Amino acid sequence: MKNLLRFLSIVIWLSLVLSACATSPPAEQTGAGGTIVIRAGTGDGGAGLTPHQQIIQNFEDQNPNIIVQLEPVSGRDYYARLLTQLSAKAAPDIMQIGDDAVPSFVTKGAFIPLDTYLKDSNFDTSIYLPGLLDPGKVDGKQYLLPKDYSPLAVYYNKNLFDALSVPYPVDGWTWDDLLATAQKLTVKDSSGNVTQWGIQLPAAWTTGFEYWVAAAGGSLISKDGKNFAGFMDSPEVARAVQFYADLYNKYQVAPQPADLNAFGGGNSEFANGKAAMMIFGRWPQSDFKSNPNINLAVVAPPMDQARANVLFWGGFGIASSSKYPDTAFKYLSYVSGEPGAQVWKDWALPAVKSVADSSGLSSDPIEGVWIGELNHLVPRAYTFTPYWNETADPALRKVLESVILDPSADVKALLAQAAQDAQAALEKLGN
Amino acid sequence: MRSFQRKEALSFYLAISPWLVGFLAFTAGPMLISLFASFTNWDLLAAPVWAGLDNYRDLATDSLFIQSMKVTLTYTAAYVPLDLTGGLLLALLVRPRFKGIGVFRTIFYLPTVFSGVAFVVVWLWMLNPNGGLVNLFLGWFGITGPRWLLDPHYALLSLVMMSFWGWGRSMALYLGGMQTIPDELYEASAIDGAGSVRQFFTITLPLLSPIIFFNLVLSVIATFQSFTSAFVATNGGPLDSTLFLVLYIYRQAFEFFHMGYAAALAWVLFAIVLVLTLLLMRSQKFWVFYLGERSE
Repeated sequence: MKNLLRFLSIVIWLSLVLSACATSPPAEQTGAGGTIVIRAGTGDGGAGLTPHQQIIQNFEDQNPNIIVQLEPVSGRDYYARLLTQLSAKAAPDIMQIGDDAVPSFVTKGAFIPLDTYLKDSNFDTSIYLPGLLDPGKVDGKQYLLPKDYSPLAVYYNKNLFDALSVPYPVDGWTWDDLLATAQKLTVKDSSGNVTQWGIQLPAAWTTGFEYWVAAAGGSLISKDGKNFAGFMDSPEVARAVQFYADLYNKYQVAPQPADLNAFGGGNSEFANGKAAMMIFGRWPQSDFKSNPNINLAVVAPPMDQARANVLFWGGFGIASSSKYPDTAFKYLSYVSGEPGAQVWKDWALPAVKSVADSSGLSSDPIEGVWIGELNHLVPRAYTFTPYWNETADPALRKVLESVILDPSADVKALLAQAAQDAQAALEKLGN
Repeated sequence: MRSFQRKEALSFYLAISPWLVGFLAFTAGPMLISLFASFTNWDLLAAPVWAGLDNYRDLATDSLFIQSMKVTLTYTAAYVPLDLTGGLLLALLVRPRFKGIGVFRTIFYLPTVFSGVAFVVVWLWMLNPNGGLVNLFLGWFGITGPRWLLDPHYALLSLVMMSFWGWGRSMALYLGGMQTIPDELYEASAIDGAGSVRQFFTITLPLLSPIIFFNLVLSVIATFQSFTSAFVATNGGPLDSTLFLVLYIYRQAFEFFHMGYAAALAWVLFAIVLVLTLLLMRSQKFWVFYLGERSE
């Protein structure tokens, strides 16, 4: 009995000691022969990891004393995980995050500014296509370099246009043209059921909606980032919301969302050849290209009072907790520079101009549209306040859900309420 | 003698030490930390800033907190009675012992062992307004089905419907309870001329009341913690009509990184569940009967 107890207590203490060891932060180790291991965190998963792995392979071949460990975490908890790791000083040296997370991560002190590194290494930041450095900047300092990006554009299915002899949309078209085209392409059967839709819209996707606001000549927030009131409830924003809602409910040229919770509304009409147009980012394009229902073409989004577009962007930065910022920068300038872009170009739009030009993407009838849209970008609302996601975003989402679901919704009253809610939330957080 | 007692106590604590360590490190510790956090403003990265009772005070004016309380209470009020009666009906259905009944018991119980997420995804397809099974079925009778999860008036109801798959759990408990009821009671009452309906209300139901009580408590606690179905199917929408309190806590904590406020919300949830459970415990003496107990 005594021996058993002694044995048990040893086992327990051992397991405690072992588990304590296991919780100490991994990596950060220098391997044999002065090899440095850096960790790169990404929110990509599945096939999206292949370009990362390929770039790392190329980098390690050229830098035999550096090992880059890729740490993919896909899903909705990626940012929560990064912040937990940061507060435990166990974050990856290189972290990939998306556009609207940049201000809040930077204000929390998660990244180091890159300006001195860029200067000391003579890194030429003019290699990028226009507008691609801005999302990585906060208060004039560069914290992240671009990975990939997408503006918005209108996909259209030439088969459906040809069948009804409707002319293709052309660059510089207007909201009126959009409505007229969509109406011509909306087809009803004898009992009044719609069998083909004019355009598939991305439901209550707030960030995508910023294009409609900017095109109407409006803005959701003041330039100093302090006021939603007087902006979200302005006549320009009301015009954008009303037009968007009318496409759904008044003119009925857009199918109702299939799943409000899914990114972009969960609709599949365009993919099934049942909608002639679709406004969205470049992400589903490769599926559309190989889809037998679709004869794909792409055109710039229509203009209203202004020609406008918004950018969706992912980038890399160096964690403030990194023990090897110099080594991390070496990899960062590789993965975000020309060598990295040579690999990205086969997976997404490359950020580096010379690569986009030499690979023929800039002049491609489809890819050239996306790249050309970089000349029409307006800054997104999140760039004016680090609190966008928790103040105005839910308020705007509520407005969009309301007007899509309820044909009799009062746009002006909804926007007035939203501006008031967002303003109150902002003032509470700002103090 | 005393040294024997001490030895016994020592070996007792040694024997439960794996649980004890786990409890202290992963339950009691985090609870204490979250209690502390609820009095601070904390974004995970910067050091927590003491805020006193601010977080608790903010609750009163937070329209989303009030909305999430409404949603949670409505869901609890709708789901708990359905779970209690539905499970009981299922148990009565599969109670008779004959060949093959095990198959039915398994079928009804099976959903509870499957992952919640997988179930919600299946329900998403069934409730799809265009071509989903439910609306297809309603269409056969000339009924145009609602847009279910996309309609703020039907979304919460859809989630209540989804949770029917959990009936198997309470069914199993009822079934176990029924098997402990002595057959003599039924035989004696049959001799006295009681029919099966009378038997159900005067024998089965009173003697099952401890199980009903147990299911009630579990069900109330579980519905207050509802999360998965809304997280996967609706993310609280449309128009916050399915914003459960736990989903709101998750959003504050892991999307907005307001850890202090989220901790305060969590403690409010804890207090509500605690009070409700204590009230239910108190109510026992009015309606729960234990076999062998004499009423005065």
